[in-house]
Amino acid sequence: MEESDAQRKMEKENLGPRMDPPIGEPEGSLGWVLPNTAMKKKVLLMGKSGSGKTSMRSIIFANYIARDTRRLGATILDRLHSLQINSSLSTFSLVDSVGNTKTFDVEHSHVRFLGNLVLNLWDCGGQDTFMENYFTSQRDNIFRNVEVLIYVFDVESRELEKDMHYYQSCLEAILQNSPDAKIFCLVHKMDLVQEDQRDLIFKEREEDLRRLSRPLECSCFRTSIWDETLYKAWSSIVYQLIPNVQQLEMNLRNFAEIIEADEVLLFERATFLVISHYQCKEQRDAHRFEKISNIIKQFKLSCSKLAASFQSMEVRNSNFAAFIDIFTSNTYVMVVMSDPSIPSAATLINIRNARKHFEKLERVDGPKQCLLMC
Amino acid sequence: MANMDSDSRHLLIPEVDSEINPGPMNIQFDSSDLRSKRPFYIEPTNIVNVNNVIQRVSDHASAMNKRIHYYSRLTTPADKALIAPDHVVPAPGECYVYSPLGSAYKLQSYTEGHGKNTSLVTIFMIWNTMMGTSILSIPWGIKQAGFTTGLCVIMLMGILTLYCGYRVVKSRAMIPSVDTTTWEYPDVCRYYFGSFGQWSSLLFSLVSLIGAMIVYWVLMSNFLFNTGKFIFNFIHHINETDAVLSTNDSNPVICPSAGSGGHPDNGSMIFYANDTGLQQFEKWWNKSKTVPLYLVGLLLPLLNFKSPSFFSRFNILGTVSVLYLIFLVTLKAIRLGFHLEFHWFMQTEYFVPEIRFQFPQLTGVLTLAFFIHNCIITLLKNNKNQENNVRDLSLAYMLVTLTYLYIGVLVFASFPSPPLTKDCIEQNFLDNFPSSDILSFIARIFLLFQMMTVYPLLGYLARVQLLGHIFGDIYPSIFHVLILNLIIVGAGVIMACFYPNIGGIIRYSGAACGLAFVFIYPSLIYIISLHQEDRLTWPKLIFHIFIIILGLANLIVQFFM
Repeated sequence: MEESDAQRKMEKENLGPRMDPPIGEPEGSLGWVLPNTAMKKKVLLMGKSGSGKTSMRSIIFANYIARDTRRLGATILDRLHSLQINSSLSTFSLVDSVGNTKTFDVEHSHVRFLGNLVLNLWDCGGQDTFMENYFTSQRDNIFRNVEVLIYVFDVESRELEKDMHYYQSCLEAILQNSPDAKIFCLVHKMDLVQEDQRDLIFKEREEDLRRLSRPLECSCFRTSIWDETLYKAWSSIVYQLIPNVQQLEMNLRNFAEIIEADEVLLFERATFLVISHYQCKEQRDAHRFEKISNIIKQFKLSCSKLAASFQSMEVRNSNFAAFIDIFTSNTYVMVVMSDPSIPSAATLINIRNARKHFEKLERVDGPKQCLLMC
Repeated sequence: MANMDSDSRHLLIPEVDSEINPGPMNIQFDSSDLRSKRPFYIEPTNIVNVNNVIQRVSDHASAMNKRIHYYSRLTTPADKALIAPDHVVPAPGECYVYSPLGSAYKLQSYTEGHGKNTSLVTIFMIWNTMMGTSILSIPWGIKQAGFTTGLCVIMLMGILTLYCGYRVVKSRAMIPSVDTTTWEYPDVCRYYFGSFGQWSSLLFSLVSLIGAMIVYWVLMSNFLFNTGKFIFNFIHHINETDAVLSTNDSNPVICPSAGSGGHPDNGSMIFYANDTGLQQFEKWWNKSKTVPLYLVGLLLPLLNFKSPSFFSRFNILGTVSVLYLIFLVTLKAIRLGFHLEFHWFMQTEYFVPEIRFQFPQLTGVLTLAFFIHNCIITLLKNNKNQENNVRDLSLAYMLVTLTYLYIGVLVFASFPSPPLTKDCIEQNFLDNFPSSDILSFIARIFLLFQMMTVYPLLGYLARVQLLGHIFGDIYPSIFHVLILNLIIVGAGVIMACFYPNIGGIIRYSGAACGLAFVFIYPSLIYIISLHQEDRLTWPKLIFHIFIIILGLANLIVQFFM
């Protein structure tokens, strides 16, 4: 219980300027306006209320979910029922009288995702007229500058028609405002389906979604927070978002061969999703990426309790040595060496030198260079 | 990618030590707590000699382990969103418990009831909960129905309510795809009937609670009055010669209602020519005018406590009282002997016919006497061997039926009929013994103390249910609670003053709340769930509709008797 109190206290201290809703505004229009987000590119995470977006975000980004449903209920706030600011992502959560949470992002999002992307989370479809009006009136604002749209479908939903309808209206908005956005559909909560039927059901849904999304292209994944599919889906999404990922992989391979590492992994910085990896021999544990990611995220949560931030880690025993360190501005690297006779300092120097080359690669317009070590 | 699904079946390789007794956990958890406290630990893998060690933990298990640990850090313990659901965690049969000595034994497979109670304890708890004050009205009920009819009715009602109780217990299992481990019967009603189901089950549950509390008040005033009278007479060495009809021997049995023309009231007329002190006492210690009010001063403060857990320690008094009543009845029967005559349809001067048309009064009383349906699920949850639930329930019902039959038959049969008529049997059979009788004095004292300790518990239950649903808070403020308590106590006082017929109160409230919980809901829910599974056949439908009609008839006919 103490950790949650400490967490909440820390979140309170990070609170930005609180935005009060103006009193007396007519129903359906929101007095405070979404600030100009024209500069930053967005990742929209959308889906029906209750489809699992908040849990998903919390798991991938290692955010503490603070679900506080105490009612405030007075004057204009009666409209909004209850307002709560989750400061780590600066989302407003509205909790209505039935207990459903509707979340939407305002700017000040502190999570930088792959450099310049900002995560916005929207509940889409199925709410009361207040949210409908707000959504429609702010539609252009919401869908402008979108880099990625991730739409979450609950596989157990009984209102398939409605879900598809809302999905299509989001696609229309995307077509109008950000036609270059990449679209991913996640069929979520697959653990609730019988194992032998999962492939069948997913294929059905995938076909429907592909058909509905034309002329836009969408990639579909089936996910569940209780197995490795969520991590793999998000890793695939991140993989597709990296501009020159093949080149990155080639250079990573060269790097690994040069320093004689057993395995080298490249993680995205905020989420520890594996962007690419190179291994020189067959590894036994197929789940190791997700496990490492969970372990480090858990460690980061512990560090944040002490207001410390995780930077690097070295794990060593008589059989191997592993190094996790900041690599470029958007990535972490993990190097696993199975020759314990190589001293740590040597590997760390290698990593440091490689860093400069990979930084250049990250800058999109940088000249193509091969990795050479003297 | 390596093939990981094949080893998801068995997490660990067992090393079973056959000498260790695989007893289940000794700590009793609430089921909802259990899910959040469920430990998911795997032993640390030895990674020094990776290639030599036999794989003891599968990759799937260790990945799930990390996942669950990580998720548990993301929310508060109260938030159920990221708690592993049952279908992703290995079944209890696949879990092993490690002892520090390095060997492991398999947990006995347990389902929802992680209980530690043996069958005997469960049966006793059900019996104890069902034995209430309606035991005092059973002889009167037999008298109202006629001896033979009464016995048949008792046995048939026992079987009927047992069947309905069986339906209640099985109702959760028929709900598909929802986790019902923490559900009680009102939750099942809400699932099938929406908020109407929830509100109506709350209402009927309150009817039974408040009915019980009113009965308690009447009885407590009665017992307090008699106790006070006994003590007063004992101190002042008064030998009472009641004006009421009584047998003239060493084991007096009185007929209090004979003097006032068959209409029972609580006045007893004692005339003493020259004793003003006694007249004063008589004025200030009156069964229907003053004693109920004295109780207010005693019990109203107790009702306002936030948590009555102090009173639940006296639970044993209930069992002791019932056992003492059995002993008392046996002793009286031995001393008084049996007086039974069988006249089938005619009412004679001293006996009642064997078959009477007032038998619905007995069914009304029995509906409350056999009522346990709103908490049977909770009681059976703690049974160690869940597969014996039905058997244990049946045994408990049989035991309860036997107890009621024993007391009813003995009191009825041993009632001294030649001087008195069987019609004299009071709604509270202790009223048939004068207040000077020492054995019944002890019984009254036991029951008085027991009721005084159960009354705050009943008040707490009523408060939790009513205030919890209306205000969302079980203790909104002292004023809400005080007003509620005043209403309940006021109802009790009014009944004690003007209508102290516990038989009547029991049969009305029993038939009303039994209508919902015993007859209508279990049958209706069974019919609906069968219909949803397309397994409904005409015989089953007709049989259960017949039960519902019986319940309705039971309630309606109470008002005509």
